[in-house]
Amino acid sequence: MSARLCGPLQVDGSLSRGQGSHPWISDSGVWYVQIWVLENCSPLLTVFGARRGTHTQKVPLAACVHVCLAHVSRVQLGPPRWISFLGHVTEVYLVHLHASVYALFHRLYGMYPCNFVSFLRSHYSMKENLETFEEVVKPMMEHVRIHPELVTGSKDHELDPRRWKRLETHDVVIECAKISLDPTEASYEDGYSVSHQISARFPHRSADVSASSYVDTQNSYGNATSTPYSTSRLTLNTPGQLPQTLSSPSTRLLAEPPQATLWSPSAVCGMTTPPTSPGNVPPDLSHPYSKVFGTTGGKGTPLGTPATSPPPAPPCHSDDCVHLSLPQATAPKKEERTDSARPCLHRQPHVPNDRGLEELHGGKGSVTLSDLPGFLGDLASEEDSIEKDKEEAAISKELSEITTADAEPLVPRGGFDSPFYRDSLPGCPRKTLSASSSTQGTSANPEPLNSSLDKSGPDTPKQAFTPIDLPCGGTGESPAGNRERQASLEASILTPSPCKIPPQRGVGFGSGQPPPYDHLFEVALPKTAHHFVSKKTEELLKKAKGSAEEDFTPSASPMEVLDRLIQQGADVHSKELNRLSLPSKSVDWTHFGGSPPSDEIRTLRNQLLLLHNQLLYERFKRQQHALRNRRLLRKVIRASALEEHNAAMKDQLKLQEKDIQIWKISLQKEQARYNQLQEQRDTVVTQLHSQIRQLQHDREEFYNQSQELQTKLEDCRNMIAELRVELKKANSKVCHTELLLSQVSQKLSNSESVQQQMEFLNRQLLVLGEVNELYLEQLQNKHSDTTKEVEMMKAAYRKELEKNRSHVLQQNQRLDTCQKRILELESHLAKKDHLLLEQKKYLEDVKLQARGQLQAAESRYEAQKRITQVFELEILDLYGKLEKDGLLKKLEEQKPEAAEAAEERLDYCQDGCSDSVTGHNEEAPGRNGETKPSRPGGARGGGGGGGRGGGSSSELSTPEKPPNPRAGPFSSRWETVVGEPTSGTPTTVGSLPSSESFLGMKARELFRNKSESQCDEDGLTVGSLSETLKTELGKDSGVEARAPLTLDGPLLPAPKPDSVGQLRIMDYNEAQLEHS
Amino acid sequence: MTEDSQRNFRSVYYEKVGFRGVEEKKSLEILLKDDRLDIEKLCTFSQRFPLPSMYRALVWKVLLGILPPHHESHVQVMTYRKEQYSDVLHALKVIRFVSDATPQSEVYLYMHRLESGKLPRSPSFPLEPEDEVFLAIAKAMEEMVEDSVDCYWITRCFVNQLNSKYRDTLPQLPKAFEQYLNLEDSRLLSHLKACCAVSTLPYELWFKKCFAGCLPESSLQRIWDKVVSGSCKILVFVAVEILLTFKIKVMALNSAEKITKFLENIPQDSSDAIVSKAIDLWHKHCGTPVHSA
Repeated sequence: MSARLCGPLQVDGSLSRGQGSHPWISDSGVWYVQIWVLENCSPLLTVFGARRGTHTQKVPLAACVHVCLAHVSRVQLGPPRWISFLGHVTEVYLVHLHASVYALFHRLYGMYPCNFVSFLRSHYSMKENLETFEEVVKPMMEHVRIHPELVTGSKDHELDPRRWKRLETHDVVIECAKISLDPTEASYEDGYSVSHQISARFPHRSADVSASSYVDTQNSYGNATSTPYSTSRLTLNTPGQLPQTLSSPSTRLLAEPPQATLWSPSAVCGMTTPPTSPGNVPPDLSHPYSKVFGTTGGKGTPLGTPATSPPPAPPCHSDDCVHLSLPQATAPKKEERTDSARPCLHRQPHVPNDRGLEELHGGKGSVTLSDLPGFLGDLASEEDSIEKDKEEAAISKELSEITTADAEPLVPRGGFDSPFYRDSLPGCPRKTLSASSSTQGTSANPEPLNSSLDKSGPDTPKQAFTPIDLPCGGTGESPAGNRERQASLEASILTPSPCKIPPQRGVGFGSGQPPPYDHLFEVALPKTAHHFVSKKTEELLKKAKGSAEEDFTPSASPMEVLDRLIQQGADVHSKELNRLSLPSKSVDWTHFGGSPPSDEIRTLRNQLLLLHNQLLYERFKRQQHALRNRRLLRKVIRASALEEHNAAMKDQLKLQEKDIQIWKISLQKEQARYNQLQEQRDTVVTQLHSQIRQLQHDREEFYNQSQELQTKLEDCRNMIAELRVELKKANSKVCHTELLLSQVSQKLSNSESVQQQMEFLNRQLLVLGEVNELYLEQLQNKHSDTTKEVEMMKAAYRKELEKNRSHVLQQNQRLDTCQKRILELESHLAKKDHLLLEQKKYLEDVKLQARGQLQAAESRYEAQKRITQVFELEILDLYGKLEKDGLLKKLEEQKPEAAEAAEERLDYCQDGCSDSVTGHNEEAPGRNGETKPSRPGGARGGGGGGGRGGGSSSELSTPEKPPNPRAGPFSSRWETVVGEPTSGTPTTVGSLPSSESFLGMKARELFRNKSESQCDEDGLTVGSLSETLKTELGKDSGVEARAPLTLDGPLLPAPKPDSVGQLRIMDYNEAQLEHS
Repeated sequence: MTEDSQRNFRSVYYEKVGFRGVEEKKSLEILLKDDRLDIEKLCTFSQRFPLPSMYRALVWKVLLGILPPHHESHVQVMTYRKEQYSDVLHALKVIRFVSDATPQSEVYLYMHRLESGKLPRSPSFPLEPEDEVFLAIAKAMEEMVEDSVDCYWITRCFVNQLNSKYRDTLPQLPKAFEQYLNLEDSRLLSHLKACCAVSTLPYELWFKKCFAGCLPESSLQRIWDKVVSGSCKILVFVAVEILLTFKIKVMALNSAEKITKFLENIPQDSSDAIVSKAIDLWHKHCGTPVHSA
């Protein structure tokens, strides 16, 4: 795509022009076109990659690349062939071509490593292409790291548009730069930087080494990269200075591309262009140099200007070209360019001087690279920073040349290099010195080329720094540098110890550039950031002031050189006519046969166009960098904000720490207090414990005491109980004694009474005694003789008296006892009477009770009797029914006629019965009138008398019993015998069946008992029945008439006496009962 | 009344205020506590006060001689009575005089007849007038006494008492009725006489059946309390009171038949009042019975 897109452009732009002007130059025109294409390719690639990644397709890309590479190779191989045709013009083209191819290579490799590598592999695996690979591709590959995508990515993945979507164009550029080992291209931002730098150095050396032979094309490369080299060197320095460099750029560091390279601001300022432009310029210069240099030096403006300055300088500077107006070259830029152009211009003029050294060039070109360390050392030793700067600038350029030159060892164009070298030298004011040094360097170089590599290890850093410094110094020293020494000082401060040059150089640049950029920055940067940056720089300045002095010397930067060259070329061009010198000079200077001036003019125009292209390219790049710079600035601002925030946080942290300390102190205090409190508490607790123990002890003591007291209490209780018992005993004793006392008192009373009696008796005795004495006196008086008798009598009397007395006593006692006994007995008697009464009452009660029960029982018994009567009646009824049924059946069997007769008889009989019953009913009251007053028992007796078989209850019925049993068999026999012949019997039988059987008699008896009236009626009915039977039987048969007689005969007379007897007995019994 | 001393002193006031029967139950309980029940006291009590229903059966049984006055023999006697009852009932069932479907009053009647030896030959025998009386009383008694044994015995003894004790007094009652009615309301009597209803009054219902079937049992038992306790004069006053109560209606009726019909089926709503008034009337005319002992 890019190729396609670019294609029309070239065609539109220059190709037509080229072709139009020169038919045979068509080749060169084509190249030009291709160069053009390639130059535009890489930026476009990035643009397309970033913006429309989808459009980049493999095939067109590959084709494009292939074509380009092939052309390059052809060109590179071709020169021998083409040189004759093209002369120096082709070389100029070649330089451009190389540069552009190189750029394209980088882009392709950076963006599509897998595809690209595979393409390379496929394309250059063919033997025919091997050569081109060796010569063109391989050298380029040496400036490239292994792309990480080669490991991680794939072809398809590379083409994924999403990959680029997030990236801006400049991001893509930086991405590509990361891969590059080429200092001009490489990026130093990210993690790569260190290794990158280191690795970046190696390529240099290797390039140097290889570059020795490689001059022509190498130059172009070198030129392209030269400034980058310087920058790279700077970067190498920077590692040490990084902090400073970071801060420094803001002020005028912008002017210090070397240091600033790391620093985007410089790029932003447009500084990128200067460094690159010099890169571009030098090749141009170099080419011109070899041939054009002469022109430039001699006044090969046509060539020189187009080649070197045209792109950057002319447009800005002269503003002649219309298309130059396109690039938005601002005023500052112009100034820069003017500044940078000067040195270039300077160089150019100087170049011619050095031309003599052309031969050295080949060596030098190679040497310069390798010599760098040596140079650096030398330069460092030298006091003149300017020289150093110049030298280093030159060296850097040379290095770049060498690197590029590596590709073409075949071309023995040391001349190109040498002039270039001189160019660079001329850039510096004191070219001579530098030249000498360079010569020295060169002289030294060839040998150490290899050795320098070996040597490089330790020295490299220094050398690395120095070269950077040098250019810087050079630039700084350049006229522009004169303007501001202080700035240089500052710069020097910024680029501290390792290299004095860079600062100077920075100063150099800065002197020219700062003013223009400053206001830009003020716009671009927020004030804070500006302030911050300025502050930082001030600090750094203060720090570095001491060391700043040395870095003083200004040196022309490649930019300036380029600018000068361009300016010079312009001046020359303006002063002298085109036709005049340029061709001649160029012809003169170059070894090639002079080409017609008209051609030269064309070629020069072409070159101009090329340069313009280059300029556009670089401008584009600058823009990208500017973009990136802005972004980085934003980052810086953010970082500063973050730092401030950080500081604030730190303050806060400190405050918090203070707080924490305060808290800690208070915590300690609290802890101490707490401890105190705890101790207090412990002491209190221990006290309390001890108190508790004491109390417990006391309690136990009290407990023991209480127990003792309790035991005592119990003892006391026991005592009390015992005492009570004793008291009781005593009481009982007292009672006893009282009893005794009463007894005793009784006895006493008795004894008193006895005593009274005794006294009474004694008195009697006395009376009697007196009486006795009287009698005795009488006796004595009367019967003195009878004294004996009297005495005897007296004695007897006394004895008798005593006997009587004792008897009296006995009698008295007996009397008492008897009286007492009587009293007792009387009381007993009363009690017994009372008891008797009670007993009687109780007896009555019991009697009553018993009577009640008895009545109940009796009533029950009565009821039972009634029940049994009812039962019997029922049974009899049932029997009657049964027998009746049996007879009826028999009758029916034997004689139906008889049955009829029997029925008739039965009817008759019943009538008779009923008549008799009624008749006897009237008699009954009269007959039973005697028995009536009697109780049911009497009635029963009467009933028994009434009933023929009622002997069971009466004594008289017993003799009648025999007939009864007899009657049973008789009746049965009678029934059997009589029943058959006579049909009348059944009727009687029906009414009398029970009378014959024992049961019947019994039933009758009972029946009679049921009620007196009924009984009587029954009895009568029975009697009447028997009579009727008799009559009937008598009628029926005489034989059988006897049976009724026997039956009823004894029965009928019997009842009456029986009943009477019974009645009497019953009456008696009743009477007895009633009495009871 | 000896037990008056033990009675609550407030009882006097109860009676004054108009609360009756508050202390009666207690005094009755005191009476019933005596080991040998004083039947005369019981009689006096039941004549003076209405018996509490819970003791009514007991008092009646004692008064009717079903239970002896001694508490000790109560159980035994009661078992006799029960056995007798069950025996008789069993006998009746055996001879198929009685079945389960037979109404209880008829059962009582047959039992009574069996015990008195007047059991008809078959249950289909027509009832005699005394049987009617018995049935009416038994029906009323059924309502008053729950236990069938008690019911039978009380009925039987009650009827026996009517037949024995009041045999002579009962025929005098109509005359007494006329006399007291004349005292209370001569106009009514004259009206009755005018209607020739005096002779046709339901004396049978009133005096032989003792109002059984005429008054509701609840009020009837209060009358029977008096009857059981030996006073059949209460019946007269009840009859008088009935006439007095329904005087207006009776006066409105002119024919003897209607009067008798009405009197045979008097409305029962005012029976309680009638009985109360009758008792009051009885007390008024005969004085409150006082225990002679």
